[in-house]
Amino acid sequence: MGNMDIKEIDMRGQICPSTFITALREINLNKNEIKSEALKLVFITDNRDSTVTIPETAENMGYGTTVTKEEHHYRIEIFSARQ
Amino acid sequence: MTLGGEWVTGLTSLVIGCIAGLVMHRSDFCMAGMMRDLFLFRRYTMLRVLALLVLANMILTEAFRQYGWIPLFPYPAFGPPSLSNLLGGALFGFGMVLAGGCVAGTLYKMGSGNVISMFAFAGLLAGSALYAEFHGVWKAFSDATVFAPGKITLAQLMEISQGTAVSAAIFILGIPVLYWWKSGAFVRRSYAAGYLQPWKASLIIALLVAISVIIIGIPLGITTSYAKFGSWFLNLVLPEHVRELAYFSAMPFRYANQLLGISYAGGPGPGYDDIALIQYPLIFGLVAGGLISSASLGEFRIYLKVPLPQLVSGLLGGVLMGLAARMAPSCNIWHLLGGLPILVMQSMLFGIGLLPGAWLGGKFLSGIVLKNN
Repeated sequence: MGNMDIKEIDMRGQICPSTFITALREINLNKNEIKSEALKLVFITDNRDSTVTIPETAENMGYGTTVTKEEHHYRIEIFSARQ
Repeated sequence: MTLGGEWVTGLTSLVIGCIAGLVMHRSDFCMAGMMRDLFLFRRYTMLRVLALLVLANMILTEAFRQYGWIPLFPYPAFGPPSLSNLLGGALFGFGMVLAGGCVAGTLYKMGSGNVISMFAFAGLLAGSALYAEFHGVWKAFSDATVFAPGKITLAQLMEISQGTAVSAAIFILGIPVLYWWKSGAFVRRSYAAGYLQPWKASLIIALLVAISVIIIGIPLGITTSYAKFGSWFLNLVLPEHVRELAYFSAMPFRYANQLLGISYAGGPGPGYDDIALIQYPLIFGLVAGGLISSASLGEFRIYLKVPLPQLVSGLLGGVLMGLAARMAPSCNIWHLLGGLPILVMQSMLFGIGLLPGAWLGGKFLSGIVLKNN
């Protein structure tokens, strides 16, 4: 937990499925690091629909997720389910 | 026309637009997303919600028609089916996926500050105006490919009563809707603030469409006004050219509103007429609804750092959608929420056309526009 890297991706203002497609790609590219608790992905988005689609898909893939509203946007975190 | 009838028409459209915009924003009621996600991600929840909306509208409008509250039936401005409905629907489906929203989605998203939707809106105006350049050729093609002259609804084609046809459709659509309802397939888990479950939104929108039909005499329509906006801008720079184009001088929209005791007349040209009276407040309301909803949640924000391919996609999608909405003629809101529930054959063809268009749009978007995102 102590040395976990955080990769933050800002996707505010982007076209509708962009957030989901990018999130899916990042999860798949970094699956080993996330599962070994070496990495946490953070997506910053203003797309309300992403608060449905990204956590739902990530949880179905076996990851843990949290969604937090921050001022004008949402912060979606994807991490190992063991955390 | 009396002043009273005009005011009631305009205010009805404005209130409907505001409520629809607010409800669509809160529930992420994106019809482009419904079609796109079906093919791109195999997600069906929102398409099920659309089926619920169509079913609710079928029941409402048929009940109101039986009560005699809908004197003009089928609604004015629908015609016999033609190949142009199918092709227009396909191009529209492609365009709306590229634009990231349909003609209504573009408006409420624009109201919430989305820059891509602003580009899509500009594209919609340009595409709608561009259609006027080849209206004559397309109209001839459309007329030549009509395959049930004088027949507008499925009931008319099958020579059965509207009540029988709609009852059968309610039964067929009702079975899966009831199953989805019982299995909880309409519910979405969202973390968005102030989230409205889409199934609730679909029932509210179905009611709004029915109110429009009863008071104004037609379901929700937007896109002729996009042609009007487009022709207005074109008129600023090329007034002679606008005068020469037959499409902009036509006034095809004419009917009498018995409830309000007034008659409407309008067309896609740049002047203020009854198309503007009905549709401008609806358009303004949809934008305002998105703005009110996002601002009240503290989510209104204009983000300018958008990748260029996405802006181009929004603009191009808007142009194609604007063109397609004139070719079809009309848009998803008119056909899926207005025509389909009363089994208008034009609308059924438009809906069928949407599917391959949305599939191709999804391929283009994920394979080209978002490839290097």
